Amino acid sequence: MEFNENQTETVQIAEPQVSVAKPELINGSHALIRSLIEEGVETIFGYPGGAIMPVYDAIYDYQDQVNHILVRHEQGAAHAAEGFARVTGRVGVCMVTSGPGATNLVTGIADAIIDSTPMVCIVGQVAAHLLGTDAFQETDVIGVTIPITKWNYQVTRADEIPEIIAKAFYIAKSGRPGPVLVDITKNAQQELMSKSFTYKKCEKLVSYHPRVSPKQDQVEAAAKLINEAKKPFLFFGHGVQIAGAEQELLRFIEKTDVPAASTLLGLSSVSVDHPNYVGWLGMHGNYGTNVLTNQCDLIIAVGMRFDDRVTGDLSRYAKQAKIVHIEIDPAEIDKIMKADAPVVGDAKKALEQLLPLVKENNHQEWRAEFKKFDAIEDEKITQPELAPTTEKIKMAEVIRTLSDKTKGEAVILADVGQHQMMTARYYQFKKPNSFITSGGLGTMGYALPAAFGVKVGVPDREVVAIIGDGCFQMTIQELGTIAQSGLPVKIIILNNNFLGMVRQWQQLFHQKRYSFVELQNPDFITIAKGFGIDGHTCAERENLHASLDKMLASDKPYLLEVLVEKEENVFPMVPTGACVADIRLE
Amino acid sequence: MTTYTICVFTENTIGILNKITTILTRRRINIDSLTVSETERKGISRFTIVIHSESREVVEKLVRQIRKVIEVLAVFGYLNEDIAFNEIAMFKISTPIGAKPLDIETINKVYKAWVVYWHLTYVIIQKTGTEEEIFEFFDYIKPHEILEFVRSGRVAVSKSPQTLVDYLPEAEWEYYQ
Repeated sequence: MEFNENQTETVQIAEPQVSVAKPELINGSHALIRSLIEEGVETIFGYPGGAIMPVYDAIYDYQDQVNHILVRHEQGAAHAAEGFARVTGRVGVCMVTSGPGATNLVTGIADAIIDSTPMVCIVGQVAAHLLGTDAFQETDVIGVTIPITKWNYQVTRADEIPEIIAKAFYIAKSGRPGPVLVDITKNAQQELMSKSFTYKKCEKLVSYHPRVSPKQDQVEAAAKLINEAKKPFLFFGHGVQIAGAEQELLRFIEKTDVPAASTLLGLSSVSVDHPNYVGWLGMHGNYGTNVLTNQCDLIIAVGMRFDDRVTGDLSRYAKQAKIVHIEIDPAEIDKIMKADAPVVGDAKKALEQLLPLVKENNHQEWRAEFKKFDAIEDEKITQPELAPTTEKIKMAEVIRTLSDKTKGEAVILADVGQHQMMTARYYQFKKPNSFITSGGLGTMGYALPAAFGVKVGVPDREVVAIIGDGCFQMTIQELGTIAQSGLPVKIIILNNNFLGMVRQWQQLFHQKRYSFVELQNPDFITIAKGFGIDGHTCAERENLHASLDKMLASDKPYLLEVLVEKEENVFPMVPTGACVADIRLE
Repeated sequence: MTTYTICVFTENTIGILNKITTILTRRRINIDSLTVSETERKGISRFTIVIHSESREVVEKLVRQIRKVIEVLAVFGYLNEDIAFNEIAMFKISTPIGAKPLDIETINKVYKAWVVYWHLTYVIIQKTGTEEEIFEFFDYIKPHEILEFVRSGRVAVSKSPQTLVDYLPEAEWEYYQ
């Protein structure tokens, strides 16, 4: 009961306050859901269980305001929240119970932190008085997730909930985004708050202030290097999409006329049709982009972190080039590559500030050098892949046909492995925000759950998940979620009955000793039909067009299995430990 | 190998130690000593972490990673010359009847160490100083049987005239009382 400070105690005692309206006190679970609503959350991906049941009881009352999607495994909830977050830029929310519910999230959280994905994970926990007693379904999830969350916190009192949720959302989405985990003990979910519910969004914290606008002197130093460079080469990464800097990036590359290459997660931020776009970087990236990395005199890195899959052997990587590094996370500066001109800030702001300082330029001659390599790659790899003479269908032709049929404008998800690299190579992205894949962690099984998260985020766009037969079986149960939610996600399984990328490495580096990479697969179409999802198998090249048409024409979830060449390899390839300039074409 | 002292200022909440040490563990950096206590400001803890490293670059990267912990307010990496530093050591020395007596005068005047507890068969001596001074005394006292020896780990204050609030102008922290 609250006491008014101005009233004397005797009055309080003498008059029971029947007529005075008491503040409406809600319990922690209601406070949680109302906090999520205040943050604009419309969809929660979750799975109930003992320690989160009070919250699920509260959700029951808010079904008109919050949509809950029941996944089939908690990992699926995490990936779905990631998919939603990646495509919308908003915070994805997943909710699970304690113990195994929480530990099943771990892969998804680890995936989110390495791919800078804003996510808030609400996790139930045993009651506070049971903490540390090895109670049923008690796991020290805070301890488990410290290294893989941007922030985590254990709530033990209902009163803490609004403030902690506000903080969680602020931390997850600001600066370099990342996953935040809030562990809520069951007593905190059940007990009444001691004061009426009010919600204030968090806008700053004493100990955390990410720099959005870069310092002007850093921008000027970067502009000087850019203006002096004879052979500048721009790399753009995931940071461009996160910052929504696609327009600024276009203006920048058009004004400076620099050639621009993408990282895996940067794909789709610049259309493949753009004359300055020269391809993508790294292990299975393009020939010219990799070789010319070692011939440019300046790298302008925008929102990327020089991942080892991009750089190959660092001791022989771009030694001749100066580096301008535009990056929001100060810890990424000089982490892998020493920056001559670091620019700490958000990609959009940094490019906005750079634009007036960089000179209009013409690098036609330098850009033409990429064309020479493209011609070789085209002749040796791309054309044979797209117009194969093999009996079986090849992955590249499936993806390019899909690309043509969707005009390069669908949201494409790829799982992890050969089909992922093939998707990155052969889908011709023409619209920003269109490629969602697990880049940093390389999480097999990511694409299927992430796909329905994406579809929730962008219901009006065509969403196609391209998945290998190995990956598909890692989260196959999420077909149930797709069927129950009715989200019209299109799924293509590129089935070669192999864990293809591992097989490729065993072929190239382990004398073809195929150690546990061949799969005896189930009948995927029967399985899909068992879940209530329609689908069919395409085994012949002449049926490919019709098969894709049928899949795309469906207004329901649809599974298309394509039987592809069993032992094809992804090239070009920079083998692990090799120099980017030594990229192999065969 | 160079000694680096890393001072970390954090909010004083549960689990921060874990959040910081996991950053070192992941990079296989061993901690030589670690002390934690509340600062002159309420609710702000100060970690003093001493490490050895061959590479200044590694330490710089470590400092930036520690800064990423949300509860961390500020991180400073120091060389020995940048700081005033000390630690306390305690020695439990056996003094059985008939053994060579301790030279208390030398212990006090030369080594600036003090007996803080007497027992019939042992004494406890407290010695404040740098790691080097403590080990000099260790060598001196070793001939007497050392029953127990403990060091507090380094505490250090920067020689720079700036104070914590200079780095955290936005914060209005109450003084610790």
